[in-house]
Amino acid sequence: MIQKKVCMVCVFGTGKTSLVQRFVHSLFSERYLSTVGVKIDRKPLDLDGTPLTLVLWDLAGRDSHEDITTSYLKGAHAILYVADGTRKETCDQLPELRALAREAAGEVPDLLALNKTDLTDQWKLGRGDEEELAGAWDVVRTSAKTGAGVEEVFQRLGRALLAPREARS
Amino acid sequence: MTATAAPSVRVDARGLTDVGKKRKANEDHFVVMALRKSADVLETSLPDPRVLDALRGPEGWLFVVADGVGGLAGGALASETAVTTLAEYLGRAAGCFNRLDADGEQELLEQLEHAVHSAHRRITELYGGGGGRNAPAGPATTLTMALLVWPRAYIVHVGDSRAFYMRKGRLRQLTRDQTTGEYMVSSGAWTEEQASKAPIATTLVSALGGQEMTPSVGLVDLLPGDTLLLCSDGLTRHVSDERVAELLGRPTDAGTACRELVDEALAGGGHDNITVITARLHAGPGV
Repeated sequence: MIQKKVCMVCVFGTGKTSLVQRFVHSLFSERYLSTVGVKIDRKPLDLDGTPLTLVLWDLAGRDSHEDITTSYLKGAHAILYVADGTRKETCDQLPELRALAREAAGEVPDLLALNKTDLTDQWKLGRGDEEELAGAWDVVRTSAKTGAGVEEVFQRLGRALLAPREARS
Repeated sequence: MTATAAPSVRVDARGLTDVGKKRKANEDHFVVMALRKSADVLETSLPDPRVLDALRGPEGWLFVVADGVGGLAGGALASETAVTTLAEYLGRAAGCFNRLDADGEQELLEQLEHAVHSAHRRITELYGGGGGRNAPAGPATTLTMALLVWPRAYIVHVGDSRAFYMRKGRLRQLTRDQTTGEYMVSSGAWTEEQASKAPIATTLVSALGGQEMTPSVGLVDLLPGDTLLLCSDGLTRHVSDERVAELLGRPTDAGTACRELVDEALAGGGHDNITVITARLHAGPGV
């Protein structure tokens, strides 16, 4: 069985844990509980007949008190960044988070989940903002609440992990 | 129990359990273990054999709290079996914890979960239960375990005992209760207020020996000055997080901290068995 460590990184409150809950347990709650340390979940996938287990490391989000603990990122095979489309500042911090993560984990496949697409009336990103993000990231728009895009995020990460190294670049 | 876990930290860890004021028997169990490689120098020509002393220090610490489920026969047997199985399993695995790379760490996490599943199987084999939704209930137990391989604490958790760590006066809960109330609120079916009023909110949805057993796994990197706390709900039902933080914030040793926490729970009513483990992580040996 192939197992791959996927670290989930974000600024606090972007709904990263809710994405995992939706993906692994098919649950969603409006309640916000910040992650303490790292919560680890496993999710088996079947990608065109190839079994793959994603070991999801849900890291505490960066907040005003604490930065990302980069030691958790060592050995990660992929990184999933999560930003909140209703809080533009969560996107503004992405380049810095990516630089931190790459320093710890190296150049591994990554993907950006642009979360909370269900909150259309509160969406703060214009078309230009999203095009700019798409220029730098592999972006999937998601809603942990409705489930939109959630399966796709992890399927795409899984496929990137199984792809030969030269095919990723 | 005090020993050097790594050159930069000294671990002062103690546990304490109390039957409380209402229960006739104590169904909680705990263990505090230093996991060591055996390396005693018997003879050497080295001019200073003390350079080998580091080989005798613990390479990890294991802390386990188990709370036999009240109202079911044999709760004490279940918690005893859980703690014994975990201690045996991980005691045998000592020697594998140092210099963990990413793959080794993944293997360790699987071993920890495997240990919990082994304990679950042993309880169900010995005492029945765990046979599916319609099977008769047998004895069951919560289990909260921390394996400290400095500086990382690996947490595996089943039920409603809890693990916390305190850093600079701030208490953070590492585990989430596996209860009906927590599950219903997490799934959006209940509000916090509804959960606080529902009599079944405290019913366990996952327990060793129970019909469902789903370990939750996590980890945290600790710093010198932090305190790790594991406890049964006999503490948390009577002592608020704020008060726990206040008591742990005092400059006491681990044994005193345990005593003060248990006394506070007794003063608050002591309706259940009370078990606590505290581990004070001090900067550098001899500090």
